[in-house]
Amino acid sequence: MGEKEQPRIGVFVCHCGHNIAGTVDVERVAKEASKFPNVVFSTDEMFMCADSGQELIRTKIKEFGLNRVVVASCSPRMHEPTFRRVVEEGGLNRYLFEQVNLREHVSWCHMHQPEAATEKAIDLVRMAVARAARLESLPIKTVSVIPRTLIVGGGIAGLRAALDIADRGFEVVLVEKAPRLGGHVIKWTHMFPGDRTGEQVIGPMIERVMSHPRITVYTDSKVVGFDGYIGNFEATIRSNDGKSEEKVEVGAVIVATGFKAFKPKGYYAYGESPNIVTLEELQEMPRRDDLLRPSDGKPVKRIAFIGCVGSREPGVKGHEHCSRYCCLAVAKAAADLRDRVEEALVLYQDVRTYGRGHEEIHRLAREKRVIFSKFEPSEKPRVTVEKGKIIMEWHDVLADDNLRFEPDLLVLASAMVPPDDVEETANLFSLTRSGDGFFNPEHIKLAPLTTHTAGIMIAGVAQAAKNASESVVDASGAAAKATSLLAKGEVEIESTVAHVDPELCSSCHTCVTACPYGAISMDNSRDPPVALVTEAKCHGCGTCAAGCPSAAITMLHSTDDQILSMVEALLMPAMTSGGEVQ
Amino acid sequence: MSNGAARSNNVLVVGGGVAGMQAALDVANQGYKVYLVEKAPSIGGRMAALDKTFPTLDCSACILTPRLSEVARHPNIELLTYSEVQSVEGSLGDFTVRVLRKARYVREDRCSGCGDCARECPVEVPNEFDEFLGFRKAIYVMFPQSTPNVYTIDAEHCIRCKRCERVCERGAIDFDMQDEIVELKVGVVVLSVGYKLFDVRQYPRLGYGHHRNVITAMEFERLINAAGPTKGHLIRLSDGRMPKRIGFIQCVGARDVKKGVPNCSRVCCMYGIKNAVMAREHYPDAEVTVYYADIRAFGKGFEEFYEMAKTRFGVKFIKGRVGEIVEDPETANLQFYVEDTLSGEILDVEHDMIVLCPGLQPAEDLDKLAEMLGLETSTDGYIETRDAFAAPLETNHPGILVCGCADGPKDIPDSVTAGSAAAMKATILLSSGGAK
Repeated sequence: MGEKEQPRIGVFVCHCGHNIAGTVDVERVAKEASKFPNVVFSTDEMFMCADSGQELIRTKIKEFGLNRVVVASCSPRMHEPTFRRVVEEGGLNRYLFEQVNLREHVSWCHMHQPEAATEKAIDLVRMAVARAARLESLPIKTVSVIPRTLIVGGGIAGLRAALDIADRGFEVVLVEKAPRLGGHVIKWTHMFPGDRTGEQVIGPMIERVMSHPRITVYTDSKVVGFDGYIGNFEATIRSNDGKSEEKVEVGAVIVATGFKAFKPKGYYAYGESPNIVTLEELQEMPRRDDLLRPSDGKPVKRIAFIGCVGSREPGVKGHEHCSRYCCLAVAKAAADLRDRVEEALVLYQDVRTYGRGHEEIHRLAREKRVIFSKFEPSEKPRVTVEKGKIIMEWHDVLADDNLRFEPDLLVLASAMVPPDDVEETANLFSLTRSGDGFFNPEHIKLAPLTTHTAGIMIAGVAQAAKNASESVVDASGAAAKATSLLAKGEVEIESTVAHVDPELCSSCHTCVTACPYGAISMDNSRDPPVALVTEAKCHGCGTCAAGCPSAAITMLHSTDDQILSMVEALLMPAMTSGGEVQ
Repeated sequence: MSNGAARSNNVLVVGGGVAGMQAALDVANQGYKVYLVEKAPSIGGRMAALDKTFPTLDCSACILTPRLSEVARHPNIELLTYSEVQSVEGSLGDFTVRVLRKARYVREDRCSGCGDCARECPVEVPNEFDEFLGFRKAIYVMFPQSTPNVYTIDAEHCIRCKRCERVCERGAIDFDMQDEIVELKVGVVVLSVGYKLFDVRQYPRLGYGHHRNVITAMEFERLINAAGPTKGHLIRLSDGRMPKRIGFIQCVGARDVKKGVPNCSRVCCMYGIKNAVMAREHYPDAEVTVYYADIRAFGKGFEEFYEMAKTRFGVKFIKGRVGEIVEDPETANLQFYVEDTLSGEILDVEHDMIVLCPGLQPAEDLDKLAEMLGLETSTDGYIETRDAFAAPLETNHPGILVCGCADGPKDIPDSVTAGSAAAMKATILLSSGGAK
């Protein structure tokens, strides 16, 4: 494998406070590691990720002339970038670092077997040391970023993100599948907070978007093709009538595709009477000074609401989540309408008026004598329609009584669910979805706006059920992620990619079809054509290498040699232990 | 990066918790200089002290540490820890900020964080980071991953024996250090000053401060934390024994008009459930009960986590307000009556440990800061924002933005999101439409 310097490996075993050291004998692991081939330094330390641990690595690289570093700590998912940076600061190539997961893979799952856990830890470290000896430097590559952002969805989140990015000085392409901008909000009659209509809230935003010199709007259109990699995407936008199709190049994407209000067929006699409507349908009825029964246009005297319709249903796929916006929306609608009706009733499971100003509305509704009655999820209210009359029967758990009510209008607070074409969107942008059907963020706590696909952000309800004012904040946040990328102008990409040896390639196309990311094409400039990897698109998954019948593909940083050395270290420890340098 | 409209292109972020760090990073990543001012010796905020986070049970410190290093090492971020904003004058694009840099008595440029000084220090002080359950020295770091990794001498408790000075190989100890005032020029100010927890002593009937086994949720976080005062062993403070029957009481200082906390604090249901799950994780045969008013599991994955707490972890949930908690003088166990409002039964229960889950309140001295900056506050003391849809992070003072809990309680993802959004607004104001 070419010129080789003698590996000089340093092993750093982390206590992670008590997380690892509480189960694994870390001192013993470090001591054993010192005997492994090529290990010239080995120690244990309270927190390797802390500044002091990082400093220790840098110091020891210099002191012992280390050229490979193994850190035995937690999952590389969080700290591999940290330690790669540390070894770089110590003067090594970042790919000469190897991490062993002694926490999730050892101490946390073998908490009650400290002996066996320690043995396993030693095995894993021995394997990592064997692999480290064979690690090679890889080049650090950057690609330039096209200073334009694609925003998918022209609801309140998409509009806000578009305005922010354009106001910051970058170009935006906004695509909306409906004929007009404004999403759900524009149809609504009452927004919270305040008491503006959706039109009043979103109208000025639409006007600004339409007249902004840096925003190009495509309505009645969809993104039908999407290709490329962070900083360099190409989207195909097609009008719904199929008459026009355009390709645009963008550096970043914000997916703000929103939600669909669940149509609760099969719930509470929905569909059996025109006077049973969803909250969304109520919102779209004319302003409430004049609440009339859809069936005959007579004024509504008794109104009822039922919460959690299609939400919070354990075991029902896509309906297990709380839809977040509805409790307040119901409380507000009930409080607003209480003055115009004789009786207003709200059936609920829990009242989740969590935000600022929400409790005031909830209290106002109660002060106005809106009746709140709690039902148990196991005993849902029964709704029947007899001769056009709506009859509700339920068990109030707080009063422990069976009750009955005959409303003129029944409003079902139905769930927020993903739009029908969500799967299409997921496939187009390589996004994954969680149990609620909405897109997964990169990290649910600390990276709620970015996704696992670099360069693609999510905002608003595309990420999870939420209300309009929360979606707006999301949108500005996602816009910041996009502009950070655009302002830098270039971005680093991973070098752990597939590499084709053109001498060995038999032009069979197996890898081209195997690649889930469309990263491999045929280089027709060669005769015969050979497979060519677009490195920025490659995720390093190895599917191509596994499929290649000619063994022409090497996975950089996961070479056969590197992997087999680990297997050897596990199966034949005697060969790889003992301290003598090979 | 230059443009005529703004005289300073720098941003001041006040508060180095998770929201402020995110705001700083997202501004700095766009090429602008950020001063991040934090009053504690380390950035990290509340999140650094939490054990696990809901709804994924990620270890809080573990997911936070990369963020801490990212902030500390960012070429466009200048950290001013152990510092406080004294005054802000001027207007958008042209603020003059005076910052008090409190004397650490340790030189940041020399200290390597080796800890030799703390080992030598003879003075032990109850550790505020551990909710005073453990001890630290008079020269200390707040927590192992403290950023910057620099020791601080707590002047109030230091006895000037100078043993640390003698043992420090780098000559980093400097007893002559003085507080100093630095003046910064910034174009935009972002307030991410966080929150304070409700003082549970305001409910005398719950017995906190009298009954040793009634603790707060933050004390619970430190007790179950592997880096905490008990190395993660959940014990009773009265006798060090393992609690077998643990109760969690929700809404302590939230949704209570009489106590001046009319609003829901948004996070307590979920941290309460998370802690209940952790209690079962620590002691699988312990009886764990949550006493609640409504369970508000509204965020992504929250309801699913609540369901899992009931079904997979066997946490019991009882809807009802608890009465006066009485301590058994023999056993230090805790007894009270509670009406299970779902069954209508009055229950007479006994627990070995009670964890009070306090609500959130505006940060200490937020009223003074608001007054100094001329910012409007709401009746519950948070900073008022201009418009929920058009300007959700903007205050009445142009160029002063808020994020995190400065304008109301938020959980971690909502704080992070607001931090990013504030960064967006800040850079729009500075760039005036220029793409650089």
